[in-house]
Amino acid sequence: MKKRITIQTIASGSFAGQGRALRMHCTMPHPTTHISYLSSFIFYLLSLLFTLSCTPSVPDQADEAGRDAVVAPDNHDATLPPNIAPLNFEIQEEGEAYVTRFSTHSGEELVVGGQTTDIDTDRWHQLLQAAVGDTLFTDIYVRQDGRWNHFNRMANPVVPDSIDPYITYRLIRPSYVMYEELTLNERCLESFAERVIYENMTLSHGNSGQCVNCHVPQRQGQSGRSQFHVRQALGGTMFIDGDRITKVNLKTDSTLSAGVYPAWHPTLNLIAYSVNETGQSFHTLDPQKIEVIDYASDLILFDPEQGRVQHIEHTARDYESFPTWSPDGRTLYYISAHHEPVGTDIDADLEQNYQTLHYNIYARAFDPHTRKFGPRQLVFDAESLGKSASTPRVSPDGRYLLFSLADYGQFHIWHKSADLWAMPIAADSLTSSIEGGGEAAVALPLNSPESESYHAWSSNGRWILFSSRRDDGNYTRLYMAYFDAGGHAHRPFLLPQRQPRHDLQMLRSYNAAEFMVRPLQPSRRQLLKAVRSEARRATYGGSALSIPEHDADDTAPLHIANQNHHNIYESN
Amino acid sequence: MKQRLPFTFTFVAFALCLLLGPLRPYLVETAALTPFYTTESFAAETISKPCGLLFYLASFLQSCFARPWLGASLFVAVLVAIAYVQRWAFRMSNAWFGLCWLMPFALLLNYTQLGYLVYTLKFPAVAFTPALGFLFTFSFVGLWFRWDKWWWKVAFALVVPAIGFWLFGVYGILAALFTGFCELGIGHWGLMTAHKGYGNFVQPGIGRFGRRLPFTDERDRHMLWGIVVFSLGSAVPVLLRKVLPYPIDVWAGLVQFTDAERQMRLPWILALMLPTFFAIFRMEGKRLWQTVVSAIVFVAAAFATYTYSFRDANFLGILHMKHAAEAGQWEQVLTLARTNEEEPTRAQVCLARLALFKTGRMGNELFAYPDGAASYNAPQQNQWLRLMIGPLLYYHYGKTGFAYRWAMEDLVEYGERPAYLRYLLKVARLNGEQALARRYEAALDRTLFYKSSEYSEYSEFSEFSENSENSENSEYSENSEYSENSDYSDNSDPSLRPLLSYTDQLDGDNGLVEFYLLQSFALSQGGSRPMVELALMNSLITKNLTDFWPRFMALLPGWNGKIPTHYQEAALMVAQLQGGMDTSSLPIDPAIRQRFEQLVQASAQNGDNASNAYALRPAFGDTYWYYYFFVQGMKTT
Repeated sequence: MKKRITIQTIASGSFAGQGRALRMHCTMPHPTTHISYLSSFIFYLLSLLFTLSCTPSVPDQADEAGRDAVVAPDNHDATLPPNIAPLNFEIQEEGEAYVTRFSTHSGEELVVGGQTTDIDTDRWHQLLQAAVGDTLFTDIYVRQDGRWNHFNRMANPVVPDSIDPYITYRLIRPSYVMYEELTLNERCLESFAERVIYENMTLSHGNSGQCVNCHVPQRQGQSGRSQFHVRQALGGTMFIDGDRITKVNLKTDSTLSAGVYPAWHPTLNLIAYSVNETGQSFHTLDPQKIEVIDYASDLILFDPEQGRVQHIEHTARDYESFPTWSPDGRTLYYISAHHEPVGTDIDADLEQNYQTLHYNIYARAFDPHTRKFGPRQLVFDAESLGKSASTPRVSPDGRYLLFSLADYGQFHIWHKSADLWAMPIAADSLTSSIEGGGEAAVALPLNSPESESYHAWSSNGRWILFSSRRDDGNYTRLYMAYFDAGGHAHRPFLLPQRQPRHDLQMLRSYNAAEFMVRPLQPSRRQLLKAVRSEARRATYGGSALSIPEHDADDTAPLHIANQNHHNIYESN
Repeated sequence: MKQRLPFTFTFVAFALCLLLGPLRPYLVETAALTPFYTTESFAAETISKPCGLLFYLASFLQSCFARPWLGASLFVAVLVAIAYVQRWAFRMSNAWFGLCWLMPFALLLNYTQLGYLVYTLKFPAVAFTPALGFLFTFSFVGLWFRWDKWWWKVAFALVVPAIGFWLFGVYGILAALFTGFCELGIGHWGLMTAHKGYGNFVQPGIGRFGRRLPFTDERDRHMLWGIVVFSLGSAVPVLLRKVLPYPIDVWAGLVQFTDAERQMRLPWILALMLPTFFAIFRMEGKRLWQTVVSAIVFVAAAFATYTYSFRDANFLGILHMKHAAEAGQWEQVLTLARTNEEEPTRAQVCLARLALFKTGRMGNELFAYPDGAASYNAPQQNQWLRLMIGPLLYYHYGKTGFAYRWAMEDLVEYGERPAYLRYLLKVARLNGEQALARRYEAALDRTLFYKSSEYSEYSEFSEFSENSENSENSEYSENSEYSENSDYSDNSDPSLRPLLSYTDQLDGDNGLVEFYLLQSFALSQGGSRPMVELALMNSLITKNLTDFWPRFMALLPGWNGKIPTHYQEAALMVAQLQGGMDTSSLPIDPAIRQRFEQLVQASAQNGDNASNAYALRPAFGDTYWYYYFFVQGMKTT
């Protein structure tokens, strides 16, 4: 028997229904702060009145348009999880009336009207549940000149593997040197609920600006631990453990900078960081606009309990960055590029030769008992391909290494050539992962001509969250793609929004997004209080290598640090 | 009424003359620096914060400055309304009506005094926000006394500070505070004559025992209401700070000037003190002296407003030239440069030089135009050229990466102002980034007055296209890399294409736009004919003559025997200074040769360099020779 759910349109769904959906699917400790309750109430009241006034129905007769409807965002053929929020879209076809029908093989059906869909969250989830292991179909009808046209049916496979219910990210304008309003946000993927975790302007006054970045959890937040950096005013790295927050200044006299790109050990309370001497230079004519260059970089290991920093990599001519752990915590992967300086002016040298910086992926074995690292081993030789790798991340089952690959450099968000690649590795052995070699690495079919860069695995390893500039080359949007057990990435979909035009209109980028299995525990007020507190200074504990390497300290990168470019990570 | 109209007409005439007279370009620029978008998301994001509704309405009205008559009329209408509502709220007599205009004058001055600071002030809608805010404040003060219902007063006391704060920021609190002051004033001074019908809602219930109970006396009740409203007004923001999951700005709606801008606070101090005074001390009476005093204060306020309004000739001159340049009216830019009576700022010099380049007259006239390095009449000298015309200069000189960069940096720092979106759009088009251009087009189309269609045609460059030489005649055209960059040509201005014929590189300008442009062109190699000419001219400006002859010779065939005057002058001078070049075969005007000989003789007759500079300026001030030998110490920014 056909079960039909008919709802209407621009803002369909009842206030009560929406509230249920939010409670059912998300348990945000603090509801959205961006939209006032008053405006939401008025919005839903008007929607309800409109809903009651007319109900859409699928036309009895319609001509076949013989083509796909133009919709934005276009998520056709994307594989969907059973718990994702409604994928609203705008039908960009001229017409007098619009009807969209979502249906499944099992007979569930949902009909919405209007050029812009606003699908009731509860109904949508019912529909997705009915389509699990099967396909969700979308039929679009547009009345043009009094006649209904039916466009090609869209089909979205729905898999049983759920996606983690939360993501965190930074909202930022695609800026260069300046920054002003930055927020760390948490978004429920099962609904549209979004909250601000931290807003930098709250504690920014006049010229004492504050930058916040890199909210990174340990194991998708399963342990309750995460961290983020605060730079400039009241700077420090905030360590969150449940509702306990500690502020630490990771800069020591023996390290290049405060911690930059973090990687939580999967089980121990340890974090590997890169420390970077980073500058920005600007293209005079290239649409890529900017090059973010590391003039020096190392790796450190931070033990929050002891407040101690140790060097993992500390060489002058090798630039290491973007560490990441294997899921068993026995291997640390990272990228590294070798560069022999030409002359003494590192600024001029790298501004001239930035395209010769090719980062490979390396790894070091880690002994959790001694907390020491073994020798460095090459994992993926990007340079031999004339490419440069960045942001390696290992899948939770330890079978795949996902990384971005571009023509040069490591800050791939500004590189149009940047694509996501995956490489099979062994689950529990560094040696075998290396034996697997880089030959098996493949570019994922989800790439675009624009930059694909920062990415994260869901806790079950079946979903990839990644940043892409495919829409216009400049503004980063978040996409999610299914990564099946066979190692195949499926067509991605855009982060769902209640208003489909949201991402088209917003002149901000999503940055450094991470999956979370549960919401961040501390409140915004708690975080603000912690940021206001004095930072504990980390101490330096020498090398974390089991056998310290000879050239580690005598040509320390500190001595060749760039003179002209302000290091954006210089102060904590 | 008869007493009120002269004040009203005088104020309207004064304000309109000031705004639409000397400050007209300032209004236009203010509009371009005011973000307002007709989207639900903009409304929701703005209104969801404290003072949001006020910011939204004020931004809407301020964006109307793009049509100066409309914007100025709206602004003056709000200011006039403030005067009348203030009189109504505080029950001021006609004799004191002139005092009601102090606040409008203060709010007018609050906007007109800003000058350069309008670029760096991050406060939304600086003209309309306080004006609408105080209008709201006084309206509620008036309503409090006009509607004598106890439930209204209870509702007022509870709702206005809380919801009023959320919608109107600090003005919601001020409404409660001023009301409290009024009540306390009435209670303290017993000034009941103006409130005959007010407040006797306790008495009937108390009956004959009323006078023996506390707060049953009418004056006591005023005191009580005053304390209640005042306390709630003060407590609400403090409570909101505690209750909400995140801190809020309790001063939302007040412009917060830095210490360096402390003189800008004066109108605000006046604006806050006046109503307090009017609230506590009633302005009643019909005496002539009151009218005279009132009129004198009115005139003094008008005089002060005019005096302290920022009418700096160079500031307004830059704005005039900038707007002409953005409209492609290069001749108008040059006219403005010639007729400027002050020593120009570097921004004006740069705009004039750009116009000369655009009109193809750079080689003939550049050194004849006024040069100078007058200070910008504002603190932090180094930032104004970049903030005002940085993207414009970079865009028109083909440094598109830097044009985009600074437009984006400023957008990050100061918000989604249409002024920045215009250059982001132009560069995206020039780069052939169609999807990005559509994003910016859509953003501009969501403004009220800055539609993307206004920037879809590049008619402003036609003059240059007609006047510039054909690059195919140049040997440099063979070396041009433009063909390799042809993907950038889609949907772009044709006259800018030759300027894009260079190899991209990583670079930085440290915010010094003019210095960077001078150096990058002066040190450039190869490129299209316009680029070689820019290299030649900028090397002359920077007095770096090393590569003069290769560039001169490269351009020579294209001049078809008519070498621009300054290049003839430079050729004679360089040949004299460096030797090794016989200029007799060059098609140099005999009059210029003769003039050069006169200069050499005259400089030999005079004494030191300073006296030569003074003595030779009338005869040779328009030549490159004079610039090379006597113009020194220009501080480029």
